[in-house]
Amino acid sequence: MSDDSSQAGMDRRKFLTVLGASGGGALALSGCSTSRVEKLVPYLVQSEDQIPGIATWYASTCTECSAGCGVHVRTREGRAVKLEGNPEHPVNRGKLCSRGQASLQGLYNPGRIKAPMARGADGRLAEITWDDAIARLAGKLTAAGGKVAVLSGAGRGTFSELLADWTGALGGRLVRWEPFDHEPLRAANRQVFGLDQLPAHDFASAKYILSFGADFLETWLSPTENQRGFADAHGFAQGDVARFVHVGPRQDLTGLNADEWLAVSPGTETVVALAIANVVAAAGGAPAALVGALAKYTPAMAAQETGIPAARIERIAHEFAAAKPSLAVAGGIGAQHAGATELCAAVNLLNFVAGNVGHTVRFGADLAAGDGYHALAQLGTAMGGGQVSVLIVHEANPVYALPRAAGFADRLKKVPFKVAISPFLDETAALCDLLLPPHHALERWDDAAPRAGVRSLMQPVMEPVYTTRAAGDILLATARKAGGALARFNAPSWEAHLRGRWQALAAERKEADADAFWHAALQRGGVFDEPPTPAAVTLAPTATQVSYTRPAFEGKGNYVFAAYPHGMLHDGRGANKPWLLEVADPVTKITWNSWVEVGPEAARALNVRNGEILRLTSPHGTLEAPAYIHPGLHPDVVAMPIGYGHTEYGAFAQGRGVNALDLLGAPAGEFVTYVSTRVAVEKTGDYRKLATVEGTPRQLGRGIAEAIPLAAARKGLTLAEAYLQEGHPEHELNTPLEVQALKGWSEKQFEMTRKGDYARTTPQWGMAIDLARCTGCQACVTACYAENNIPTVGEYDILKGREMTWMRIERYWEGGEEPGVPPSARFVPMLCQHCANAPCEPVCPVYAAYHTADGLNGQVYNRCVGTRYCANNCPYKVRYFNWYKYNEIAWPEPLQLQLNPDVTVRARGVMEKCTFCIQRIRGAQNQARLEDRPIRDGEFTTACAQACPSDAIVFGDTGDPESRVVAIKQDPRGYRVLEDLNTRSAITYLAKVLHSVEA
Amino acid sequence: MAVVARPIPDRAPELEITQTQADVTRDVADTLGRASTGYLLLLGGAIALFLAGLLTFLILVKDGLGHAGYNPPIFWAVFITTFVFWIGIGHAGTLISAILFLFRSPWRTAVYRSTEAMTVFAVMTAALFPIIHIGRQWIFYWLLPYPNQRWLWPNFKSPLLWDVFAISTYFTVSTVFLVFGLIPDVAAVRDKVTGWRRIVYTLASAGWQGTDNQWRHYTRAYLYLAALATPLVLSVHSVVSWDFAVSIVPAWHGTIFAPYFVAGAIYSGLGMVLTLIIPLRRALGIEQMITKYHFDNLAKLTLLTGSILFYSYGMEYFVAWYSGNTFEQTTFFRRPFGSMWWAGWTMIICNAFVSQLLWFRKIRTNLTALFVISIFINIGMWFERFVIIVSSLSNDYIPWAWSDMNPTWADWGILAGSFGWFGMWFLLFAKSFPIVAIQEIKEMIPMPRKRGGGGHH
Repeated sequence: MSDDSSQAGMDRRKFLTVLGASGGGALALSGCSTSRVEKLVPYLVQSEDQIPGIATWYASTCTECSAGCGVHVRTREGRAVKLEGNPEHPVNRGKLCSRGQASLQGLYNPGRIKAPMARGADGRLAEITWDDAIARLAGKLTAAGGKVAVLSGAGRGTFSELLADWTGALGGRLVRWEPFDHEPLRAANRQVFGLDQLPAHDFASAKYILSFGADFLETWLSPTENQRGFADAHGFAQGDVARFVHVGPRQDLTGLNADEWLAVSPGTETVVALAIANVVAAAGGAPAALVGALAKYTPAMAAQETGIPAARIERIAHEFAAAKPSLAVAGGIGAQHAGATELCAAVNLLNFVAGNVGHTVRFGADLAAGDGYHALAQLGTAMGGGQVSVLIVHEANPVYALPRAAGFADRLKKVPFKVAISPFLDETAALCDLLLPPHHALERWDDAAPRAGVRSLMQPVMEPVYTTRAAGDILLATARKAGGALARFNAPSWEAHLRGRWQALAAERKEADADAFWHAALQRGGVFDEPPTPAAVTLAPTATQVSYTRPAFEGKGNYVFAAYPHGMLHDGRGANKPWLLEVADPVTKITWNSWVEVGPEAARALNVRNGEILRLTSPHGTLEAPAYIHPGLHPDVVAMPIGYGHTEYGAFAQGRGVNALDLLGAPAGEFVTYVSTRVAVEKTGDYRKLATVEGTPRQLGRGIAEAIPLAAARKGLTLAEAYLQEGHPEHELNTPLEVQALKGWSEKQFEMTRKGDYARTTPQWGMAIDLARCTGCQACVTACYAENNIPTVGEYDILKGREMTWMRIERYWEGGEEPGVPPSARFVPMLCQHCANAPCEPVCPVYAAYHTADGLNGQVYNRCVGTRYCANNCPYKVRYFNWYKYNEIAWPEPLQLQLNPDVTVRARGVMEKCTFCIQRIRGAQNQARLEDRPIRDGEFTTACAQACPSDAIVFGDTGDPESRVVAIKQDPRGYRVLEDLNTRSAITYLAKVLHSVEA
Repeated sequence: MAVVARPIPDRAPELEITQTQADVTRDVADTLGRASTGYLLLLGGAIALFLAGLLTFLILVKDGLGHAGYNPPIFWAVFITTFVFWIGIGHAGTLISAILFLFRSPWRTAVYRSTEAMTVFAVMTAALFPIIHIGRQWIFYWLLPYPNQRWLWPNFKSPLLWDVFAISTYFTVSTVFLVFGLIPDVAAVRDKVTGWRRIVYTLASAGWQGTDNQWRHYTRAYLYLAALATPLVLSVHSVVSWDFAVSIVPAWHGTIFAPYFVAGAIYSGLGMVLTLIIPLRRALGIEQMITKYHFDNLAKLTLLTGSILFYSYGMEYFVAWYSGNTFEQTTFFRRPFGSMWWAGWTMIICNAFVSQLLWFRKIRTNLTALFVISIFINIGMWFERFVIIVSSLSNDYIPWAWSDMNPTWADWGILAGSFGWFGMWFLLFAKSFPIVAIQEIKEMIPMPRKRGGGGHH
């Protein structure tokens, strides 16, 4: 037993290194600077805020995308173990998406570059010292004579300012770039409003949401913030539900949350947007010039272009105009074809004529973005033309993230000296001559200014895992070494530079005490001002130049190829993090490998079923991937996620799937068009089973993910009442006599089975999950992986259905089978229901499964012998078995450092399952006991509820009549899954509210 | 019932034995002589299979159960299937040796020793599976109610614990029954052999002299042991069936399970008896003692139990339809028409349909046909358990979790190893002890004698 449960890889020496060394970092919350501990010294006098067994939290900022969410980092014994949202942060308000949480696996990634490396004469990379590395860089920069270029990721903040100055001092050029940089949106904002900005969007107050392809729950602008707002608008609260209509060729996760889907072929979204704007404008209030400009885009014309009936477009237009405020957004697949700018301009006008600009669309927030693709393209031309002698690539991976046809790799090779400031050996770094591994965001001082009014701080929460340096320190050290034009960058360290910047900031803000300002900001996670009042916006003269160009795609194939960012892997940067690979794609539920989506009509035409390998041929390349039939895909389209098919980027990412970008041509315009080619699709005759976590995606009338029509929900009807009201005869339900008999029987049965159990006392823990708020994003699943040390089992075991997701999101398709019934999806989070009358408990021969006094289904890992009877008898199938020694293989060095010390790492051969985060329950109880008080409702919650960006999950004591969970459980929409089995589960689901057309 | 007191009925002419008592002793004792090449090859094959299974087991202990074809929600698969299969095999042995003894069915005489041995070895095989199957094999003893300083007891509510008791009781009683029945025969062999073997058989015969007093006690005790073993035929497999019936898995949770499983167990046991005895009687040259009459009777019993199974299969479908329970209906629909239709049809054809061929006397008395049918029965009954376990688990309440199951090398390795283990013990037994009950055969030899005596001196 003990041989199995021993934790591999963390030996005493390393433990002490981390523990002893991080004393300095730990002082950070009280505002002191980190001081590097050079020697191993055991605790003689214990550091004040380093108490073994007690977590220390630091405020920081997420750097996984440009949204700039605030995080709280939980550290234990000097190492970061979990990331949660910072409740005070205005962007994400305490929530964090899967990608943000998985930032931890970037910190402890086995693929990190451990020390500076340089390419030797033999062309191989070898480790060198930092002094040597800096000297080499300084030498090359001095020799380059201004022919220097820097390519950096798109973050905005002090570092970005320093980088610009530094590059400027060298006479070089700086390009800030990242994929999906919203170039069309900015171009349209320039055209329509004369503003080169990205506005903030207020989903929460919108009463009608119209999305033209924007995947605002996944990657678009600020997904966590969007989702929070969307859940507030679209969740059912006091009868007020926003209606959400999705227009586009593919139902992504966002689209699956829509009440109505207009399936249009790619590129024709624009004409729908224009037609709706036309109807809204014609209703009055819009400038005459605009009405005139829109006049020719009638619903009839849109109907002709898209096949959507004109009446439907008109209805939506009237609904949209009537709801005040409403919100229209464009992005995702809709804004990734050649006509994207036209679409964004049309949507801008639509928002303008509906009066949303200044309300739900707020200019002035000025969201951070890069310089756009055209700047990168110019840089590429310069590189190809030999005008760049030294190129520094900082946290960007254009070699992977641009279509191969763009030829960036070839141009990169023409640069004599290439430097990568990259934590990972990605495709770009692999072509570089000097690798300077920077600190991870959790290891360094930094700040971020993701939007006006938000300045968010980062601080080192632990000693660096490897011999890395903050990117700022690399710049400053190089400046010191090179002197000359760089001599003015004389701050002793990056930290000092940052402090200097914040002192200036304090002065700007007229803060009396700069130190106190800094400490307060550090503690809070940054400085958060009131959101700026939306800038007054007027139409630019060019606003009326709206147009619609009928889409044209390269090539001759039958299908338009749509490459879209993977919900978890984003542009591919997530592909080296096992959580993001294993927590399934929210739409297709496929893990660890590429797939190609075809619609049901296309699947019939091609005679293809799930897993059969399809060959896609575009004018630029050929790819093969197994098919997945996606009911929510337009018949003319095949779609493929971006993010797989890395040739470098660490063992997790390498050689996994194919890179969808290989089918695309070189971007012709101002931005990368991910929907630009046609492909020919043919079967290869091969088959590869999809590593999916989906079993049968239909509910078969079993009432797992229930829904209730809006009208019935408004009347406060229960599911059964709503069922009868739909005209079903009463005998389809149990008659009152039957109900009484069943009740008597079930009481008796419950009484018998609980004999010998603990007496049940308060608290009794319970949960409520509101399916009207749940979007299926799976942030809760990732949080559960992080909190509970859940192993990732890998593709091979997922093929055998052995994923260990204590919590999973089941996605059931509804409709879409017979013509006329559009497909839709229902999401239901499924986790241990902590049944009061649990089938798993009595069958365990050794009492490993037992009922605790506070209403949990306990699982004693030490006692479990692994008969697996409990899992057979669990009707919810939420018990997971350790088939292999996952404890030894799931966390390759140094990933094991992420493990939560409060939670047992399970040995092979034992059963495990959701514990309702018992470590958090006991932690809160212990704290309350120390303070001699009862536990307060909401004082703590489970990891899933904490993470949920929609606030769909509420956890609490059901024995406390005042608790929030009890109040929610009394909602008439409440039901329990498989209630007829008399399991008496502790989780109440609130039925999803169907906002159908009739409602 | 007053069965005990019923006189031995007149013998059917088929049972007439023309040999003398001395011939019987000689013929039987001859089976224990030097091993033939064929026998050694068989034994070697069995041991090789067993070693393959042992190796598979060691790999499972080393790495975890992941090598076997478990695809959740199928948490029980080939190992539990094989466990139930072997437990079932044992039942025909006890039925023939104990129940038919009490019912005074004289045709059991020639076959009961081998079926009893089969019982013991089948239970020994089955008893390995709870250990092989569990996740942490090295602490299997936690399933036993042993006193310990932690005051931890197993959960007496769990059917798996009932299983432990059922198996251990069955193993104990059937072993005692076998060993006890052997005593007079071992003594007879003792008198025929010399050297070290004589010492071994002397010890094994426990001082048997064949005195009237010994015979009186022996026959009484044998009767009581038979009476003790009889309820086990019903109880053990009922308990095993409760592993399933007590759970809430659709298609497991049914009151039909106990009788259904008992009938199935006896049916499968009879199949295995036929599979073993048909070649064995030729190999050991005891065709005169086990005749077509015996096979006819065995076949009739097979037909009876097979028909009960047929009825049970039908009744399961009827209840699923009649209950209106959608979960139950889905499971039973998917059995023959779901993704594991091949297993479902194998079970139905091999068990329900093939057994109906035994209505024909020509088939019942044709040993080749019987042997082929017995193989079908073995396959069918293994698949019955596979279908009940795997296909029911593969589609229970939550469609999202549904899965199929693909057995792997580890499943086949353990299955093969169990046959090797069983075959090894059976072959060793057949060479070491009289596989035909000498003293009961001798009772059949017509001679003037008193009731209840029949000693061989």
